[in-house]
Amino acid sequence: MTAVSRDEQRSTTPESPPRTEAVGPTDWVARLGGGGPEQAVALRELHELMLRAAAHQVWRMRPALPDPSPAAVEVIVNQAADEAMTALLGKLHTFEGRSRFTTWAFKFAILQAATEVRRLQWQHREVELRDLDVPIAPTHEGPELYAEGKDLAAAVAAAMHRVLTPYQRRIAIALLVDGVPIDVLADRLGTNRGALYKTLHDVRVRLRAELTANGYLAGRRASSPARTSAASTPRVSPTHTAGTP
Amino acid sequence: MSTTPHPDPTDLTPRHVSALLQDTTPWLSCEECFERMDTYAEAVVRDPAHTDEAMAAHLRGCAACDEEAQSLVQLLAAQ
Ligand SMILES: [Zn+2]
Repeated sequence: MTAVSRDEQRSTTPESPPRTEAVGPTDWVARLGGGGPEQAVALRELHELMLRAAAHQVWRMRPALPDPSPAAVEVIVNQAADEAMTALLGKLHTFEGRSRFTTWAFKFAILQAATEVRRLQWQHREVELRDLDVPIAPTHEGPELYAEGKDLAAAVAAAMHRVLTPYQRRIAIALLVDGVPIDVLADRLGTNRGALYKTLHDVRVRLRAELTANGYLAGRRASSPARTSAASTPRVSPTHTAGTP
Repeated sequence: MSTTPHPDPTDLTPRHVSALLQDTTPWLSCEECFERMDTYAEAVVRDPAHTDEAMAAHLRGCAACDEEAQSLVQLLAAQ
């Protein structure tokens, strides 16, 4: 992957240890918050950190970009670094030194760059909030009548109709079936990532409770489902399909 | 409760089912995930076997935070 090779190049560059690491965390805060030439230098160094992390992120997600040319990447990286730097400076007082300052700074640039790539990826795509249209499976027949796999899906669809509100179904389908990235959906709905994730969490809690009650999932102790391997897949990482249903 | 029928029946694949049934307890919000991400990434780079139950649950259930956490770990590891 390009990002990896770029990082490898960086890490094999002689005298790579970033000079920023030599600066203590509290020094960073003091220098950035102070004034004069020292602050200007610190701001410049911080901007370099932001550029590095933003470039890392955009190159990582580059295949998702409508225009993946190096020139377009450069524009996104610069913009994300600038915006991340503003966000970071607004939260400078919250830095507690529990990690290195550079690590703390990187996460702002990564968040900003990733969000921007997803936004661009979906810029010209409609986001449809659709409901589930799956025949509702009868509940009284019991799990033994369901074959593995497809019938679990039917049980899940039925549970979605029984225990979720239409809003919860639409959010869950957009995020988990149609692969709309969470921050893209949040943007279109005028909400934020945290609020949508909370909805998703509630959806999962309700569905798991319903399917546990109906014998499709083992109880809380055993984290793997009783009847299917589908939900025991160790990691469902829509990330890798982020935005690509 | 009223539902709007959709012309294209949705087929829930095993991957969709798995995502819908993901166990995301103990609860951790995206905001808290972001707050912890730097210390988490450093801990993972120091010790790949490092675990944080709430963080792991969140990352399994939140694709965006997961991508960003993986990316931060990769960035730190490459330094
Ligand atoms: Zn999240």
